[in-house]
Amino acid sequence: MSFQTTDKSVLAAFKLVKAPIYSHCFSNDRSLLAITCETDCLIYRMNGANANPKLVATLSNHDKTITAVDISIHGRIVTCSQDRNAYVWEPLSDGTYKPTLVLLRINRAATCVTWAPNGYKFAVGSSARIIAVCYYEQENNWWVSKHIKKPIKSTINCLSWHANGVLLASGGTDGYVRVFSGFIKGLDTKEAVAGSVWGTKFPFGSLVNERYHGAYVHDVKWRSNIEKIAYVAHDGTLNIFDSQNDLQSVNAPDGLPFKALVWINDHEIICAGYSCHPVLFAEAAQGWKFAKNLDKVADSNQAQISTHTTGTSVEDEDENPTFGMSALKKFKELDLKGKVSANVKESAHENAISELASFAESSGQVTQVSSSGLDGKIVIYTI
Amino acid sequence: MSDWRRIDIDAFDPESGRLTAQDLIPPYTTVVTLADLQPKISQLRSLSSSGDVNSAINLATTDPPYSADENTKAEYFRAVLDTLKQVRQADITNIVKSLDSKQHDVLIKFLYKGMSIPEGQKQGGILLTWFEKLTQIAGVTPVVHYLSDRNTV
Amino acid sequence: MSQSLRPYLTAVRYSLEAALTLSNFSSQEVERHNRPEVEVPNQSAELLLQPMHISRNEHEQVLIEPSINSIRVSLKVKQADEIEQILVHKFTRFLEQRAESFYILRRVPIQGYSISFLITNKHTESMKTGKLVDFIIEFMEEVDKEISEMKLFLNARARFVAEAYLGEFVY
Repeated sequence: MSFQTTDKSVLAAFKLVKAPIYSHCFSNDRSLLAITCETDCLIYRMNGANANPKLVATLSNHDKTITAVDISIHGRIVTCSQDRNAYVWEPLSDGTYKPTLVLLRINRAATCVTWAPNGYKFAVGSSARIIAVCYYEQENNWWVSKHIKKPIKSTINCLSWHANGVLLASGGTDGYVRVFSGFIKGLDTKEAVAGSVWGTKFPFGSLVNERYHGAYVHDVKWRSNIEKIAYVAHDGTLNIFDSQNDLQSVNAPDGLPFKALVWINDHEIICAGYSCHPVLFAEAAQGWKFAKNLDKVADSNQAQISTHTTGTSVEDEDENPTFGMSALKKFKELDLKGKVSANVKESAHENAISELASFAESSGQVTQVSSSGLDGKIVIYTI
Repeated sequence: MSDWRRIDIDAFDPESGRLTAQDLIPPYTTVVTLADLQPKISQLRSLSSSGDVNSAINLATTDPPYSADENTKAEYFRAVLDTLKQVRQADITNIVKSLDSKQHDVLIKFLYKGMSIPEGQKQGGILLTWFEKLTQIAGVTPVVHYLSDRNTV
Repeated sequence: MSQSLRPYLTAVRYSLEAALTLSNFSSQEVERHNRPEVEVPNQSAELLLQPMHISRNEHEQVLIEPSINSIRVSLKVKQADEIEQILVHKFTRFLEQRAESFYILRRVPIQGYSISFLITNKHTESMKTGKLVDFIIEFMEEVDKEISEMKLFLNARARFVAEAYLGEFVY
């Protein structure tokens, strides 16, 4: 079912599952949508913004919560899960998918996965304090991995590849944003990183850049053409830095932390998280600033607090009406407990937003973004 | 038979990379001692006793002694608590408004710290009034910052 | 609502709102486990965040211990005299024995507090965060009222019993 919302920025909202969606991904042509749902990965075919997506496949090889899913430019799907495994799903001509186990060699949960831009390798972050960079080995007919271990001290929450396919940015619960080299011999060429502002030599696993933030880093994204990295952290900030370590930081207007971000163009970023609606930030002459809220409910929080206090004060005043009346009132109140009166407007997402992705682009500018939420919804916003 | 099943094997792995509470404390370049801090404390006390609470609060929330040991922090905190007590309820809003967001973050640390120790709990009402005025002005932002900040006062 | 109760509840509300930003987090210590980090002896200190004390006075306090995937909220309910101590004990015990139908209630309070709640990422994913906060705030409002009502009732009953018993000796 699609939801009727009065806010113009919400293009479509699909309630797909009854469980939290931790990650979602569209195929390159935006015809397929993959979402995580508990231990399954569900594949939907999109029918435009107005019709509901149609379920076409269920990928269910994992036996613990799937934490992330990504689709490569060739249409291969990779899923990773808290059961310590990752699978690559090769689409077959009859619409089914053939799973191949990836030899991750990690002994804790896999938390995030992302394909390199060329689609020939991907990186998996884990709670084992390891990033596994995986690629296909022809002679063994298997996906194998190489590990980046040092100096990671805690769980990796997020990964992002540079457009050159070599530099890999990561963020984790140890409060560090690090840039590693994910150079795989035979897959990558030295020409790709020639003249990079981040350094001169990039052997596999070398630490290229490191930045201490302190709070958990929830999401990190490259903007390759201007060589900048943006990340969001648990203290409710959006931070942007470059190879000179020139950092800019902005606070969330609602205060609550962001879980995800996406670059709109070189000077605009959309973030979303625990406040359940996306927020647009823009770079002006004086640096990065909050620009506008998308799909924000008019100060629900303030209203809630004020109704709460007035509600009880009214109750205090007519504390002692006739006995029978108060009993009746009490039952009525109990009956209404936890219900929202009809005139309260809600944002499209009713719970925290877990991931953002670009949905439509025109001339290097993202025009529509999609979001997945813990309420089991996928929402598409226009900017 | 020894209790080999309960042996924590990860502790023997030099690469396990566990973080202890000690590792989380950010590295400080200088360590503030009680002697270093004494002038600031006496300045704070003289400001608050002369009734210039606005400057006193401003001073207290600027550059707090993060790197000091527990005793020094406690000493400093007592001076801050006395200042917070001095302020009349009606003035709190204006003082909080005059602080910048960094100072809000420091102020909320003092408030939470105050409410966690017996001296502060006796003054719970005053600290809660401060808290209320602060959140009215700065919203939930300082609380979110407090959660993840490993610098303590 | 009394003058000093409002700021107390406001402080608890803001603190809970900030603390209830939980993620699904699988254990770093134990393979294939997903457990509330605030409850387990933890070798990874980074998963625990700064604890928050909110106190109205020495007798009424809230302690919120946040972590990456769970928070523990402990209340100290006002206990002015021995009767109230007994009543609070009975009342919280009654609730704790039925903890499974309260979802977020902890069966045993932590040391020094009357009652504890444990909220994990499972709860924030299936319930609205705002409502969870409202529930705890409402509980704090109700529990004082409940205890003082019970105390009045108990006193009235004691008086009646005493009168009936001593009435025997009046001729």
